[in-house]
Amino acid sequence: MDASQRAQPMVSLRGVSKNYGERTIFSDVNLDVSPGEVMAVIGPSGAGKSTLLRCINFLEEPTSGQITLGGRTIRAGEGVSGRDVQALRRKAGMVFQHFNLFPHMSVLDNVSFAQMRVLKRSREDANKRSLALLDRVGLADFAGSYPARCSGGQQQRIAIARALAMDPEVMLFDEPTSALDPEVGLEVLAVMKELASDGMTMIIVTHEMGFARDVSDTLVVMADGKIIEHGDPRQILSEPNHDRTRLFLRAVLGR
Amino acid sequence: MSFITDWLDWFPTLFDGLLLSLQITGLSLLLGLPVGLLLAVFASSRNALVRGICVGVVEISRGAPALVVLQLFYFGLPSTGITLSSFTAGFAALALTTAAFTSEILRAGLQAVPAGEIEACQTLGVSRLDTLRFVVIPQGLRIALPALMGFAILIFQATSLCFTIAVPELLSQAYSIGSSTFKYFSVLALAGLLYAAVTIPATWLVGVTEKRMSRHLTLAH
Repeated sequence: MDASQRAQPMVSLRGVSKNYGERTIFSDVNLDVSPGEVMAVIGPSGAGKSTLLRCINFLEEPTSGQITLGGRTIRAGEGVSGRDVQALRRKAGMVFQHFNLFPHMSVLDNVSFAQMRVLKRSREDANKRSLALLDRVGLADFAGSYPARCSGGQQQRIAIARALAMDPEVMLFDEPTSALDPEVGLEVLAVMKELASDGMTMIIVTHEMGFARDVSDTLVVMADGKIIEHGDPRQILSEPNHDRTRLFLRAVLGR
Repeated sequence: MSFITDWLDWFPTLFDGLLLSLQITGLSLLLGLPVGLLLAVFASSRNALVRGICVGVVEISRGAPALVVLQLFYFGLPSTGITLSSFTAGFAALALTTAAFTSEILRAGLQAVPAGEIEACQTLGVSRLDTLRFVVIPQGLRIALPALMGFAILIFQATSLCFTIAVPELLSQAYSIGSSTFKYFSVLALAGLLYAAVTIPATWLVGVTEKRMSRHLTLAH
């Protein structure tokens, strides 16, 4: 990647591995993501994509290796301090497959809660920011509702607004449309597309091949605990280097 | 129909006893529930010693019958130099039982809060304490509330055990009327009805609460 050589990478993984006991999920992963880059990660299930994403913000602690995010570096396996992890997480927003909204809070409170408790914004400032973000994802009218009142696609857009409210430098998406109807997924993809065009750095674990091809700048293919391809999405999708990639693409595209 | 005039005669005395029973119930819950919540929270502490102490306290207090704890507090403690009035010993013992049993109910409630919401808090940088305070405890309490109310009904019934340490609660009053009039059947039946007059509506209330508490999870807002 040319871009990663020019600018300091926003996210950088060096020799990152994850084991659960004897079982290796992935080993020795090296990856750089430049500021403003949109990276899609695809691959068969069980390849370790989600675990890799969760290691970036230490929701899972890597077994070994080093992760740098927005200029903060944490080396795994040497008594990682909670304070360092918290500082690293503050730079990354995360969107989950199952939204993970707080069902006992209104939509507005879902977005404002962490702003008030973590960033110490006043309720007024937090709500103002929340409403602006909810407006951006097309849900300002739902501010007073509870999440259960909203469709899956709406809930996921609220979750995106909640993550953006913390002013992250990177957004991590863990299969954000996998729990949604294809049709409803589109509205979430539209929000993500807009986010990408605004210059947000994004890492997206996904099965949406169209999105990976049209919106992402780089594509990573993971299989069997390794990165087997990394480069231009169009090129990988049309002429993969690896037989494993070809097999996977035939399964997802050829149906 | 002489029992009706008897009942009218006895009612004021028994009603005083009922009020005392309710007072003991209230104090036991007021004291026991916060301790139960603390035990529930610290039972999942990362510190093994804290966890061990909590589990120990809960298991011992749950393992011992409430009647034994009651007798221990009233008749046992004076030999260590602590003398409690029968009223204090009564609600203190029942508060300990409440703490132990409700900590298990509350722990189940807290654990029922989806792990994904706790992960969401982590990624937002919310501290562990704030996560407990604003996300886990409010929802866990809601989930546990019907079971807690059910337990409150049981502890109300258990206040009758205070009869054994001479607290003049409902059963004691009934018993003393019985021993002076020998109309045990009649007076104990009235006492039973008075207990039921509290527990049956309370049970209905549990059912209503159960429905209400799950409302935010459906479309009714």
